[in-house]
Amino acid sequence: MGGPLIELERVSRIYQMGHMDVPALDDVSLSIRDGEFVAIAGPSGSGKSTMMNILGCLDRPTLGVYRLAGTPVGELDDDKLAKLRSRTIGFVFQSYNLLPRTSAIDNVATPLLYQGVGRGERQRRAREALERLGLGDRARHEPTELSGGQQQRVAVARALVTEPALILADEPTGNLDSHAGAEVIALLRELHRAGRTIVLITHDATIASLADREIHLLDGRIAA
Amino acid sequence: MNVIELLRLALSRLRTQRLRAALTMLGVIIGVASVVALVGVGQGTTSNITNQLASLGTNLLTINPTTQNSDGSTTLKIGDAIAIAQLPSVAAVAPELSANQTVKYGTKTTDTTIIGTTAAYPSVRAYSVWQGTALTDVSVDRSLRVAVLGKTTADNLGLTSSDVGKQISVGGIDFTVIGILQPKGGSGFQDPDDQVVVPIGTVAKYFVGGDSIRSVGVSVAPDADMTLTKAQITELLRQRHELAASDDDDFGIFDQTQLLAAASSISGTLTLLLGGIASISLVVGGIGIMNIMLVSVRERTREIGIRKAIGARAGDILAQFLVEALTLSLLGGLMGVALGLGVSALIARLAGWAFAFNPSTLLAAVLSSLIVGVVFGVWPARQAARLDPITALRYE
Repeated sequence: MGGPLIELERVSRIYQMGHMDVPALDDVSLSIRDGEFVAIAGPSGSGKSTMMNILGCLDRPTLGVYRLAGTPVGELDDDKLAKLRSRTIGFVFQSYNLLPRTSAIDNVATPLLYQGVGRGERQRRAREALERLGLGDRARHEPTELSGGQQQRVAVARALVTEPALILADEPTGNLDSHAGAEVIALLRELHRAGRTIVLITHDATIASLADREIHLLDGRIAA
Repeated sequence: MNVIELLRLALSRLRTQRLRAALTMLGVIIGVASVVALVGVGQGTTSNITNQLASLGTNLLTINPTTQNSDGSTTLKIGDAIAIAQLPSVAAVAPELSANQTVKYGTKTTDTTIIGTTAAYPSVRAYSVWQGTALTDVSVDRSLRVAVLGKTTADNLGLTSSDVGKQISVGGIDFTVIGILQPKGGSGFQDPDDQVVVPIGTVAKYFVGGDSIRSVGVSVAPDADMTLTKAQITELLRQRHELAASDDDDFGIFDQTQLLAAASSISGTLTLLLGGIASISLVVGGIGIMNIMLVSVRERTREIGIRKAIGARAGDILAQFLVEALTLSLLGGLMGVALGLGVSALIARLAGWAFAFNPSTLLAAVLSSLIVGVVFGVWPARQAARLDPITALRYE
């Protein structure tokens, strides 16, 4: 275990609906150390998605301070935010979010493209990541030619290929049958054992219980 | 991301939607092709006219009477031509009389112009002899009934190279064919090869009454100044025609280079006009690109969200969509250039002029298709770049 990777200090995210201010996150403070496997759980409307957007640097807090790997996120402009995402975060989404009509290997290689890695090395590293996830023989397949479980493993490979400090998984089992879902969770546990920080966002208490630490959200606040 | 990466991305994208890409490019293809083809036609016409005028002789001055007496006679006389020939800056002078007559050989007839002139005619009018001889001083002095035929006239009468020496009938009078002129070629306003050249006295005697002449062709010496020579001739003719200082000239001197300049300025304007009309279709093609790119941004909102989430900056997205639009317009432009060149080569062949391949036009066509790509691609690309990743990821 290392120092804190994620630090939220009294973070609020307030949306304006007409004249009403609706706080999706309300004065939340939390800290996640490097190498932890944390589940953020809660029912729909609890602020999970907002938390995911903030943690993933897709959105900025309205109030409070979010530091990712020591960098205060609120002070960064869009381009710096994109760069921080590219270097430190690997996303795994519920609906896989692979690029359509693009082969598995090109999907996995895309984050490296935005890091300015040359084509040869991109292909090599993407192939390595796919092989690590047992998809070496599917490299040339397009998303529509893969099963849900395979697509999600391609997405995990894409999240891993940049060697990010943080893997942010948003309902990664939501679209999968129980067998494929269990496989993905096993995969995340394996990554955690290899030393990576995993933040798993889910509404499913059973899945949340598989993490080392659970943080429950309710109405935008941390519940116990 | 460098240009090669962007290009690779754009090409792989266009490959997945070939039909759409092809149809979008068609607008630019048609636009660029019509610009290239129409400008090619314009330039072909220009060089055709210029060549024809140049083939008439660039050091040529033509003097025509500008006033006519009630009996049809004019003040321009054979003596004027002889006097002009004495000027030191004049190389040769050919007075001309003309009449339209029916020419007959065997069963074949043709209506053509009979030019009565002197032995200097070929050198003044830049003709050379193909078969036989030109008019000689002797035949002109004696006003013999001999004729030198233009190539077209000879062809119309069925006369070939071996027919020099045959008898033809001009307006019912027998003439001996002593030569056939080398064709100048060219089509258009007046066929320079359709004429019969005979001694000037012969025309005066049989076809045209009086002693006034229709025109005088003057070949200016190679080292002499055109403008100065024109002034000298004007002075000389005013003296000979006894014109008072207040009188207008009763003749006009036409300079071949003036005609050349006028003609090329007219056809240059024509070329510009044609190109302008054609570029409207290029703009329409550009609007087609903008339309399809806007549709594409809408369709690929989720893809844009994914790309942003995994590290693409707004500039990367902007560049991706812009390069896609540019690829469409540039590929369309290149195909349009090829098509346009094909069409203008075909037109040149049909019209019988030399196919002019102008690199600057091609460069302009390719550049303007690039500009079309930028102008009509920037807005959709900005739309794509400005999408919020959270909204874009949730877009279905």
